[in-house]
Amino acid sequence: MLAAEVAAFIEGQVMILVATRDEGHRPMIGRGSGARHDRASGLVHVLVSQSQWPLAVEHALPGRPIATTFVQPDNYRSFQIKGQITASGPADDAATAWGRHYVETQLALMAQLGVTRLQLSSTLSDRDLWHITFRPSDIFEQTPGPGAGRRFQTTEAVA
Amino acid sequence: MIPLAHLRDSFEGVIPSVIATTDADGLPNVSYLSHVHIIDDTHVALSNQFLSKTAVNVAANGLATVMVVDGLTGAQHILDLTFERSETEGPLFERLSAHLSILEQNMAGIMRLKAADIYRVRDCRAVPAPHPLEAATALKAPDLMEPTAQLSRMLAEAGDTESLLDTTLDGLARLFGIRHAMVLVPDDSGKRMITIATIGYERFGIGAEVDFGDGIIGIAAATRQTVRITDLSRGRRYVEAVRSMAGMEGPGSIPLPSLALPFSQIALPMIAQGRLVGLLFAESEARFAFRHRDEQALSLIGAQLAQALRLAEQDRDRPHAGEIVPLHPPERVATAGLFQLRFYPRDGSLFLGDDYLIRGVPGRLLKHLIEEYLKSGKQEFRNREIRREASLMLPDIKDNLETRLILLRRRLAEKGGPIRLISMERGRLRLEVDGQPEIVIIEA
Repeated sequence: MLAAEVAAFIEGQVMILVATRDEGHRPMIGRGSGARHDRASGLVHVLVSQSQWPLAVEHALPGRPIATTFVQPDNYRSFQIKGQITASGPADDAATAWGRHYVETQLALMAQLGVTRLQLSSTLSDRDLWHITFRPSDIFEQTPGPGAGRRFQTTEAVA
Repeated sequence: MIPLAHLRDSFEGVIPSVIATTDADGLPNVSYLSHVHIIDDTHVALSNQFLSKTAVNVAANGLATVMVVDGLTGAQHILDLTFERSETEGPLFERLSAHLSILEQNMAGIMRLKAADIYRVRDCRAVPAPHPLEAATALKAPDLMEPTAQLSRMLAEAGDTESLLDTTLDGLARLFGIRHAMVLVPDDSGKRMITIATIGYERFGIGAEVDFGDGIIGIAAATRQTVRITDLSRGRRYVEAVRSMAGMEGPGSIPLPSLALPFSQIALPMIAQGRLVGLLFAESEARFAFRHRDEQALSLIGAQLAQALRLAEQDRDRPHAGEIVPLHPPERVATAGLFQLRFYPRDGSLFLGDDYLIRGVPGRLLKHLIEEYLKSGKQEFRNREIRREASLMLPDIKDNLETRLILLRRRLAEKGGPIRLISMERGRLRLEVDGQPEIVIIEA
């Protein structure tokens, strides 16, 4: 169960990075197209465009570890949540809908910050969404500066 | 593998890069990274400043995956890296430090560079973008060799320091479309740069000073590294920070000419024979006005200008036969009354009435000329005799008299009276004074 503050944060207007890895531990980078926290199960759901991030999605296998970083673009406040993937598959209509909503609102926010649509042309995508579910095990403060990397919530508290 | 040289513009850091690593158990870590620096087609350097977890992971297995983004087109590339070594000194470390210094003025909390970490690039591939939000139009990449060669030829023809400066700035405007630019030279303190030539601003701002370490100009001068910012639009906070650090306001100083809202800036230190001779600065209201290839072209122009300025100084005492003819015939101006020049020996600053005029070597020079004028009515001076003048006691003057005189003459011209310096045939100058000056020395 994520702290309420973190749960609200990851469901808000934040940019999302995703990392999975292959058998040789080579990391695979992707960008998220929306995230949700299920308060009942404690699981985190993140959407990733499969056509844009084929390798990150290919290695998003149940049982494998995953890292996700959420960044508020106007003040760089960030959290990184790590955990173990419990499910991975194409997004259904409901998930696709919140993915689309995320991309739409995020584009509006970034435009206010002076980032052009062209600059984001390949960053935000609501197509071919893949739904990755994971159980969080660790949360870290990731805001740039001396405190970056500090553990925010212990494994026990998250699990 | 895509050669890194093909994606030079993705290493500008306009849109933050991303780095992912894995720990000894294979647990990934992913975060933003301020800059990825290209070294060659198969090597990059990462600035290690606050990446503690990343550093631990890389130490464990040497693996890192990085994503760089072209700030203009949004195109993304992923680089598979393996760690090779860390550097804590040397040219590469200095270059990374200079870039971080700029970022530090923008983002609170960033720590100093610990090390430049060098990685070998095992693979570089494009991130597919089957459904881009907006298709990038083909970028125009104008030929820069031709204007560079043309300006180079024009500089080779320029006969003296003053025409070198003017030819450079005119050439940048005419041949490169760079409409706002300036040249600064180091002053005698060795701690600040002083503006000697400008183009495209409402005021000339001759004599405006920038302390080493302040803003883009000051950092470029202090580190002798080119500093280039391609897109200042990402947040008003950033733009305001840059503006406040670019100008030096305050009593007794001349504001640095600047655009109200620049989007791109570049500062190129000009080095000749290992010495900082000056600095070429340009800015634009357009995003991405100065990209990597512009930097390359401008660095060639800057290097030639630096060499030419050094040569012009060395050429200063060449004997010249024939009659001395003023280059600019002195104007007849109605004589005004008495005016006061206040001189502060501490830093050589000179005030005309209550108005700050100039300081340092140019201030001391003008005081010397006026004293000679008051003593003997002398109005014409040879550079050679000024250089020998022991009372000036200026260690730097032997090598930089020409630029100091240009600075002084232009500052006086911008002031609009009552003192003028007229450039004569090479190596001579004429002092013109309206009214009766009085020098007051203030020991403060």
